Amino acid sequence: MQAANRRKTIGLLMGMGVLMWCVVYAALTYFGGSGAGIVPIAVGIALISVWGSYYGSDKLVLTMTGAKLIQESDNPKLFDLIQEVTIASGLPMPKVAVVIDSAPNAFATGRNPEHALIAFTTGILDAMDRDQLQGVIAHEMAHVANRDTLVSAVAATTAGAIAIVSDMLTRMMFFGGRRDREGGGNPIALVISLVILILAPLAAVMLKSAISRKRESLADATAVSFTRNPAGLRSALEVLAADSTVVQQRSTAVAHIWIESPLDSKSVSKLFSTHPPIAERIAVLKSMESLT
Amino acid sequence: MKTIIVLGVVALIAVFIISQYNRLIRLNITVDEAWAQIEVQLKRRADLIPNLVETVKGYAKHEQSTFDAVVTARAKATTATTVADTAAADGMLTQALRGLLAVAEAYPDLKASTNFLSLQEELATTENKVAFSRQFYNDNVRSLNTAVKTIPSSFFAGFAKVSEREFYEVEDPQDRKAPGVTF
Repeated sequence: MQAANRRKTIGLLMGMGVLMWCVVYAALTYFGGSGAGIVPIAVGIALISVWGSYYGSDKLVLTMTGAKLIQESDNPKLFDLIQEVTIASGLPMPKVAVVIDSAPNAFATGRNPEHALIAFTTGILDAMDRDQLQGVIAHEMAHVANRDTLVSAVAATTAGAIAIVSDMLTRMMFFGGRRDREGGGNPIALVISLVILILAPLAAVMLKSAISRKRESLADATAVSFTRNPAGLRSALEVLAADSTVVQQRSTAVAHIWIESPLDSKSVSKLFSTHPPIAERIAVLKSMESLT
Repeated sequence: MKTIIVLGVVALIAVFIISQYNRLIRLNITVDEAWAQIEVQLKRRADLIPNLVETVKGYAKHEQSTFDAVVTARAKATTATTVADTAAADGMLTQALRGLLAVAEAYPDLKASTNFLSLQEELATTENKVAFSRQFYNDNVRSLNTAVKTIPSSFFAGFAKVSEREFYEVEDPQDRKAPGVTF
């Protein structure tokens, strides 16, 4: 289960690499030498923006979601539960934050386990019992253990670079690019390059979403390996599925980090959603229950 | 050219030996840490017991045999040193505490008292922490023992002075009970 999810993530990240390569190839075919200069610039811009946010992810996400850090004395019961999961996983104690929002949800971030931060909405703390909350905490700590902030940063960097490259190149076309080419050239190759340049950003976003979905399934599986109690997380997801309220701030930039997608599932097609359908996750956990 | 190849091969072998050696040492340290965690959590539970027994006694004076069972089990648990002894005492104490909580069920006044309610939450989280630290310890003992027994790491076990470790097995009649089969 965990191994399969890991393999698929690696496959998808390699898909990203292949896509990047296709874009570079298309750029070279279409523009010749002048296209080559664009690629390092685009990768550079994407690297700086994404890795800056990756490095400061714990602080950045706090401001973007309006989460407030809390101490053990503020909610001893929650800290007890988190300590239980840190003992089960062998991870260091993360920073804990609360978002004042009645919609039940939670997320984890931070560049490594030492800088991890997990946050809960007041809604989820009120709605769930001990076992359910333990499942949610285990899911968030599983993201920390699997270093999902790093994985999504890598995915976002590549997707970002691809978007920048094709954006720049489509602009160049309008301003009379192709200076380096003196007539001729294979017309079919040119058309294919053009199609790749136009479709690449879309494909990149789809791959990024697919990676995010795989990491969610992986986090569910890892969470069960921590608590050995699939029923807890399953009933927590059932509570989330039954609840129709969504977290107030709907920034798409941080949508992927929540345990349940804060975006309206109907408006986003399955290919672009950052989370697997919640019914599917419940079914997987149920099949784990029957194994124990 | 020849010397470069020889040096390269020697360097590769050295890297391989070092990584195998370090892996065994790292696994061994993790098991030590996991064991320390079990001891911390057992100590935490032992510290909780006098207060719990006093609270229950205030409401249920006639359950002397249950109190005695808890107190003897606690005494055994605090003096045990080896893995097997600690695990046996831990199992006994878990059983005795279950008995104590079952007694408490019969006294509504006790169950409603705020002191008992906060103790109950304390006890619930401590029981979980004890259980998770056992699980973490056993998982790490399993990886260590596998590394000590399987090739190639088994070649370096003697050199690293790392040997198989003992599992932490708690006797719990509730786990042993096989599901009844009726035909």
